[in-house]
Amino acid sequence: MQSHSPLNFAGADSPAGHDRRAIGFGGVVSPLVGEMAGRPEGAFIGRSATVLSCTNNFTPSLLLVPSMPRRLLGLLLVLPALGVIALLFILPLVMSAIGAFQLDGGWGLGNFTKSIDLYAKDIVFTLGIVSLSTALIGAGAIAIGGYLTLGAHPVAVSILRFLYRWPMFIPFIVVGQILRTFLAKNGMMNNTAVSLGLMTPLDAMSFLDWRGIVIAFVWKQTPFVALLVAGAMASVNREGIEAAVNLGASRLRILFEIIVPQVITTLSVGLILSFVTMMSVLSVPLMINAQSPTMLTADIAFRVNAYGDYGVANALGLISLLLASSVAWIYLKISMKERA
Amino acid sequence: MSGAGFLELDRVATGYGATQVMKDIDLSIGSGEFVALLGSSGCGKTTLLRVLAGFVAPTSGHVRVRQKDVTTLPPDKRGMALVFQSYALWPHMTVAQNIGYGLKLKGMGSAEIGSRVSAMQSMLGLDGLGDRKPGALSGGQRQRVALGRALVIDPQILLLDEPLSNLDARIRLTVRHELRALQQRLGITAVHVTHDREEAMVMADRIVILDAGRIAQQGRPEEVFNRPATSFVAAFMGAENLLHLQVAVDGSDVVITPGQAQAAGRVPLFGRSLVSGAVEARFRPEAARLYPLHAMPEAGPGLSLVGEVLSVTYPGGAWRHVVRLGDRDVLADAPRAHAAGETVNVFVPHEALFLFNRPANAAGSSISGPESRKAFA
Repeated sequence: MQSHSPLNFAGADSPAGHDRRAIGFGGVVSPLVGEMAGRPEGAFIGRSATVLSCTNNFTPSLLLVPSMPRRLLGLLLVLPALGVIALLFILPLVMSAIGAFQLDGGWGLGNFTKSIDLYAKDIVFTLGIVSLSTALIGAGAIAIGGYLTLGAHPVAVSILRFLYRWPMFIPFIVVGQILRTFLAKNGMMNNTAVSLGLMTPLDAMSFLDWRGIVIAFVWKQTPFVALLVAGAMASVNREGIEAAVNLGASRLRILFEIIVPQVITTLSVGLILSFVTMMSVLSVPLMINAQSPTMLTADIAFRVNAYGDYGVANALGLISLLLASSVAWIYLKISMKERA
Repeated sequence: MSGAGFLELDRVATGYGATQVMKDIDLSIGSGEFVALLGSSGCGKTTLLRVLAGFVAPTSGHVRVRQKDVTTLPPDKRGMALVFQSYALWPHMTVAQNIGYGLKLKGMGSAEIGSRVSAMQSMLGLDGLGDRKPGALSGGQRQRVALGRALVIDPQILLLDEPLSNLDARIRLTVRHELRALQQRLGITAVHVTHDREEAMVMADRIVILDAGRIAQQGRPEEVFNRPATSFVAAFMGAENLLHLQVAVDGSDVVITPGQAQAAGRVPLFGRSLVSGAVEARFRPEAARLYPLHAMPEAGPGLSLVGEVLSVTYPGGAWRHVVRLGDRDVLADAPRAHAAGETVNVFVPHEALFLFNRPANAAGSSISGPESRKAFA
């Protein structure tokens, strides 16, 4: 469905889609790094060859010659990767971005004003849902990671360790489907509550609106962030935790004053990646909340499928790209700081 | 050092799963006493400290502070503060925050925390470092921050888990004395875990030597050093030269049967509880005296041996010789070097000669392996 959208960056809908993007990003960086690293290496080989030739009386040209093709060889090796990225990633992205400014009679911001007029509410809705989900995912991941790290009951810890990862392996579309049957007015949740006598059928209401989307996102993404956070928490110095116990800190204080500050980088990275993933999910809003307001991904698909209106779809895509990049910028800042 | 029984361990035993780590530990520590728990890796000394601190529950036995049973109390209710081997400083907090965290947990006001923390910083020579993170400190400074964090809550008992093992050798020597002086100034009771014999000797009022989860011997440093109770303790305290002899107890003397390398000899029993038969003889390299063959002066009772010098090195202070005595090599120091190949007399005066009856299953002891050797290096 989303494959109709020319803005593929915002339409990827499966965990695999998220991975593909990550690989693509790494792919952009590594050939460049490789190229840059290749240059001084080549130069160094050239220099060392000269030194060798002075001391050992070799013919310099014999040793210098292989270093020149090696440099070219390096370029040749990264060329296919560069080409794939340029053709399949950069070019469509640039085309979509250009398309966002393309109007019937030339260039302008028409698509954007139309997008804002029609979908301002959806932009706020999307941002609100994704931000709320991110906050809840963070809380859930800290709770799970914290219990795995500090839990005193070994059986409960191992059960949680076994269970919490499962949602990661379920595609978004299946999550949407499961929750649709679960959260509907006459769905399993309400039926169970009614049969338990917790409420009457008259009180039953559907959760298939923004709440359903938030539940789906949190259910699906918490394990991913919890996995990262629990790993980071496991590598926090145990003696540091014991030192706090020794001074009389409660487990809650240890979690929030000792452990979380030490894994805050990992937590932020996990949440940012989740934020960007959720920005790009199409199936969940379509399955759970096929009404207005809805998320930008559904609007993009609608513009393309119903109207063939690529201009507004591109503009909406660019807007969601801007929203996603604002958090990606934080991610880059963190990774720069880590590398420094 | 008054008030013995301030901190008491009563038949404490513990283990992980089916593995018994410690058996029947009885220990009584006086108020203000500095006790070193000394032993090689895996002997249970850190486990014992963790039982005291409340991180490990003993499978049986009791821990008492001032006659009050604290065995089941949580770590913070025991009046003890633990300094960890890795220092366990919190990397996201500044020095002042690290030191003040215990006070914050007690609900103290920030003004008072500030004044107590800065007093602690001055006492430990950390002035001006309050705003730094632990990552920006040297090893010695980190160690002092860890100490400050433990001391600022005014614990009755300070537990130290190899606190000096991560320091440079040179800094370690000064920190030993600083730590000891601080402990005496504060009059605090300290239990110090270490595998470093010298560290235990210079710091502690009393040394408790642990071997395979049991107390092998305890006493003042000079007692443990000069009158080791077992072959293990003797080896741990540096008497690594080991010979197997046959002796006969004759009244208040021990008669040494001559053998491949040793001459007949007679040494006073000197309070040893020996019976006639096979014994292990141990002595320190620095206690031995080396003479050229047949040039040995007449010198009191002791063990005289004949051997060949295999090699000679100079570790500083004296020349250290490897001497082959029959089928065994021993180390012996001398003020002058004897050349390799020279046949020499080795004399061990009786007060530096440690004799122990060999256990029934005398297939060597756990101390002569290369594993334990490492611990004294």
